[in-house]
Amino acid sequence: MSIELKAKKERKLDGVQMAVLNKRMEAICRKMSNTLLRTGRSGVLNSARDFSCCLVTGDNSLLSVNESLPIHVLRGADMMAASMKEFHPELRRGDAFMHNSPYHGGSHAADHTTLVPVIDDDGIHRFTMVAKAHQADCGNSIPTTYHGGAKDVYQEGALIFPAIRIQENYKDIDDIIRMCKMRIRVPDQWWGDYLAALGAARIGEREILALGSEVGWETLEQFALQWFDYSEQLMISAVRNMPGGTKVVHTRHDPFPGMEEGVDIKVEVKVDTESAMIEVDLRDNPDCLPCGLNLSQACAETSALLGVFNSVPADVPTNQGSFRRVDIKLRENCVVGIPKHPTSCSVATTNIADRVGNATQRAIAELGDGYGMAAAAAIIPPSIGVISGSSEMTGGPYVNQIFLGWGGGAAAPHNDAWLTLGHIGNAGLSYLDSIELDEMRFPMLVKGRHFVTDSGGAGRTRGGAGVFCEFGPTDGEMEVGYVSDGNETPAEGVRGGGPGGCANQFRRDPNGDLHPLESCEQAIIPQGHTIVSYSCGGGGYGDPNERDVNLVVDDLNDRWISEQTVTDVYGVILNDDGSVDINATDKVRQHNLKK
Amino acid sequence: MRFAVDTGGTFTDLVVEDVNGDVRLYKSSTTPDDPIKGVLDTLHLAANDFGLSDRDFLLKGDMLIHGTTRAINAIVTNNTAKTAFLTTMGHPDVLVFREGGRAEPFDFTADFPKPYVPRSLTYEIQERVAYDGRIIEPLDENHLIETLESIRQEKVEAIGVCLLWSIVNPIHENKIGKLIEEHLPGIPYTLSHKINPSLREYRRASSTVIDSSLKPLMGSYLGGLKERLKDAGFDGRVLVVTTQGGAMDAADMAKSPIHSINSGPAMAPVAGRYYSSHDTGVDTAIIADTGGTTFDVSLVRGGRIPWTRETWIGQPYRGHMTGFPAVDVKSIGAGGGSIAWVDEGGLLHVGPQSAGAVPGPVCYGKGGTEATVTDASVVLGWIDPNYFLGGAMHLDHKAALKAINSGIADKLGLETKEAAYAVLKVATENMVHAIEDITVNQGIDPRDAVLIGGGGAAGLNMVAIGQRLGCKQVIIPDTSATLSAAGALMSDLRGEYSATLFTDTSNFDFKGVNGLLDNLLSQCKLFLSGPGEGCIDHTIEFTAEARYPSQIWEIEVPLRGGLISNEDDLAKLHSDFHSTHEDLFAISDKQSDIEFVGWRANISCRLRDKHAFQLVEDCEVESNQEFRQAYFDGVGFIDTPVHKFESMDSELFITGPAIIESSFTTVVIDPEAKASKMKSGSLVIEPAP
Repeated sequence: MSIELKAKKERKLDGVQMAVLNKRMEAICRKMSNTLLRTGRSGVLNSARDFSCCLVTGDNSLLSVNESLPIHVLRGADMMAASMKEFHPELRRGDAFMHNSPYHGGSHAADHTTLVPVIDDDGIHRFTMVAKAHQADCGNSIPTTYHGGAKDVYQEGALIFPAIRIQENYKDIDDIIRMCKMRIRVPDQWWGDYLAALGAARIGEREILALGSEVGWETLEQFALQWFDYSEQLMISAVRNMPGGTKVVHTRHDPFPGMEEGVDIKVEVKVDTESAMIEVDLRDNPDCLPCGLNLSQACAETSALLGVFNSVPADVPTNQGSFRRVDIKLRENCVVGIPKHPTSCSVATTNIADRVGNATQRAIAELGDGYGMAAAAAIIPPSIGVISGSSEMTGGPYVNQIFLGWGGGAAAPHNDAWLTLGHIGNAGLSYLDSIELDEMRFPMLVKGRHFVTDSGGAGRTRGGAGVFCEFGPTDGEMEVGYVSDGNETPAEGVRGGGPGGCANQFRRDPNGDLHPLESCEQAIIPQGHTIVSYSCGGGGYGDPNERDVNLVVDDLNDRWISEQTVTDVYGVILNDDGSVDINATDKVRQHNLKK
Repeated sequence: MRFAVDTGGTFTDLVVEDVNGDVRLYKSSTTPDDPIKGVLDTLHLAANDFGLSDRDFLLKGDMLIHGTTRAINAIVTNNTAKTAFLTTMGHPDVLVFREGGRAEPFDFTADFPKPYVPRSLTYEIQERVAYDGRIIEPLDENHLIETLESIRQEKVEAIGVCLLWSIVNPIHENKIGKLIEEHLPGIPYTLSHKINPSLREYRRASSTVIDSSLKPLMGSYLGGLKERLKDAGFDGRVLVVTTQGGAMDAADMAKSPIHSINSGPAMAPVAGRYYSSHDTGVDTAIIADTGGTTFDVSLVRGGRIPWTRETWIGQPYRGHMTGFPAVDVKSIGAGGGSIAWVDEGGLLHVGPQSAGAVPGPVCYGKGGTEATVTDASVVLGWIDPNYFLGGAMHLDHKAALKAINSGIADKLGLETKEAAYAVLKVATENMVHAIEDITVNQGIDPRDAVLIGGGGAAGLNMVAIGQRLGCKQVIIPDTSATLSAAGALMSDLRGEYSATLFTDTSNFDFKGVNGLLDNLLSQCKLFLSGPGEGCIDHTIEFTAEARYPSQIWEIEVPLRGGLISNEDDLAKLHSDFHSTHEDLFAISDKQSDIEFVGWRANISCRLRDKHAFQLVEDCEVESNQEFRQAYFDGVGFIDTPVHKFESMDSELFITGPAIIESSFTTVVIDPEAKASKMKSGSLVIEPAP
């Protein structure tokens, strides 16, 4: 052991110091997030919170995250920081880098990431502040940030930035800014969002520089070492507490352009309680496909981690330390693995990633009751599509993703689903649009938005209901881009729980007649017409015949389920006055459970 | 003579300021079944002290300002009225969707929150107004009348009406109000455009249903209060403290009871602002108010009391949004009555459960069986069982000892004194975290702030908290035991008016905006000649809610004058916006236009002269210094000097360990901390470094 290392060991921080420093780190990430939320220009940031802020150590390990979208940050920030160091061996204070390359740790091209290296007074690179923000537009060949049909990155069309220096000495490098403004639709909005992400990263830098000079950089380094060990210890206990074994789970993404047969996904999860390791094997899956749905490496790893972390106690921190206990097996050129340029990963954060994450937590549920979760809803339905057009109201062209309502959550072992989960990669963090705010900002009218009865997967605990949403343009035609998985394969239930309701979408003409739309489309909605969107419900957990009878009655009264479902699915028999016939119910339920 | 009464979870506090400006404090137990009795009880205590009959004493009162937790308690315990929610057709789930959002991404052990009004009591109304006020679909009155009939059959007790875009065109909401009065006479209702004319349907709907659900209860409570005070001889004006840190007439409050939701804690910072500037000249302060049940933290920044725009009842995303800005107060379940317990894994917790007023801590001898912070303090010798509330209440030392032993020490394998100290230590940590939470959010470094302790239990660990936070000074005002009530006496009568009008700097609607501002001003003037009549002076402040184009979160920018008459005024506002944005978020976009959404006017009417606010010295308290055995960390039980707060000499400089006690509170001075009493009557302590 070197003298330096030994000295470090002796400076071990005690429990109170650890707790305080952890709070300080979390507070820094919180300040970054607050800046991004409040100052972002596009709906995807300021309304849907589709961004993340985190703190990566000088040696590229994820240390601290503040309530960021999980699909953004479990893996990727570390890889992006590493590529920044690789491409720019000499980092200086005042530098900032733009990154969105799915081939270098980025999630997908629409997630523009600002990386700011924190350099101490001696010129040593200590941390990297990472602020990732989904853009309303990223220069794709069509006005959507989810180009499902793109056969490669060229057809996708986005500008790709593999860790490009965008600031030097705290000043913008205008060449890059000009390029963006020439390629990205609604350039002013992009510029505002760039400022928001940069502001967040700079606030984080300012704070951590202050903290470093207050407590000493060595102390922070020591904190990181101990924090990783502490997190790993919690993860070891969590894994030892789980039911051991191996489970293979299959799922399927709906057919889309470029993958007309749909994609079968196989996830093998092995929980080894003795060595306290969880292995997720994604290698036995199809090669990359000529469409935009391939996962980036960051998303492939993160989606598997999502299923794992949804299945361990929430007090296990998500960082490099706890990640040591998860072994994710990927292969190159695999749709859920490591894509090779120019494979398109335009839709990497949602559709197939959702299938992987959901399959992982389902596998853990099937290993033992009380663990894992059902599958959450598949997305992206038109109700959270990217809308575009041109109108007098917006003073010209507009492009923005709206968030009127999306998928229901998955049932947990002991709790009904979180209704506004969105999808597994979002975990419900996004805000939903206010109808009034959307109607004020865009030439649109939202005719209705509500949950759909009987669309939450039945179970001992219930899946979240899907959402009905109907809207249309009030000035000129509107283009709505969406990529809605779950039209065919619903969100699966576990341990006898039922599936959630499927997605669907239509155009309603002025006479009120419905015309079916494709599940992946840039739909043109003329003025006077509306688009009708049904999002998926989430899967249920456990046999519905085990659900508390009183909860079933509440569900009926609050219209979450219909009278027919009460009897046919939950085995609850009601008297004419609405009260429960306890004897008949017992009989029916016992009979159903024997089957 | 002016009275302020603050009904807390455990105690009802009274502060009396007589015509000479002399201030006196009284405290009696809260009576949860009939809180008005607690109010009358403290007034009775005061009357005795003045040597007057209750009637003669009350006759001298001009004004009574009341802070109450009645409304919030009713919501938390699900005791509000059975309320129906009327919404625009197609949008029944406004209260279910809320605005989305969730806190811990990997925690799936919390249930999705139930809507404030269940889906089964939600009714869709055939009508639709567009964003510009156009009527897309007229109100179907026949359908509405049928709906009202179903509501009658459901035996609904209150109705909240929130329709899309009623803030731009309220014609349908107004019509519904009329029809409710006609078809369901006597059922209280609230219209969204009246209670909270602001953009975003969830917040407005939430304000509306919360308000209407409180009307039956708060109507009868406030009516009962006025009546019983009158019966007892009080003929003055009754005001109620608002969530925004002002006061309004009880009758007006009964008509919009949502404003009373955070009535109690909103006053502490008003007192804190006075003491921080009066005692130290520092304009940044943390006010920590420790009652029996809750620990409330609020702030003063740059001499102003910061607000939060998003006020939740309960936890963010899991509770209900009130839809109103409020004094930023962070509350946690921690106080003298907080119960200490050991979990199955052997971890010690303190709170959030509280023994409350009934049964109270074990040492009260009123049937409590679980050890509390107060019990631990008795065991440590910090609280004198014979001098609690100046000896008005005798505490049972033996019972406290037993509770700490069986509840904590035995389970943790610690000695009694160590277990008792651990309880205080955990309570201190909980409180420090609560303070860090709010200071981070408001961008305040605790080391630059003065820590002001209020509430009966503040003195137990305020010095320890100050030390943990690195505060250079801790102030315990002489009124600290009743800080909120003291704040209520210092508070202003407030009225607030707002309106929505969308415009931007590129094509500014001078005529529209100035017409609107003029209208807001008239409303303020009406307030001044109504409730505000006879006030000492008043201020009216206008603010614009503005943002960069396509941002959706507005920030508030004060207007320099009452109108925006010309391009020059607009340019000033424009540049004020950039600098406010830069202050808040470290960036601004100076080339960009800005958009305006909302406009607001606040009127404050000052009710009290600016003279000093000081407790009357109680000459009867003997100044003999005593000693008693008290426990300190790293020292153990030692003979500790005990000083009487009331009779402490301002020349006296005390170095800890020491205890300073008054009839209302005990201040523990940790080893190496330095304490002295200022001329103002406040105790100032420098925590050990």
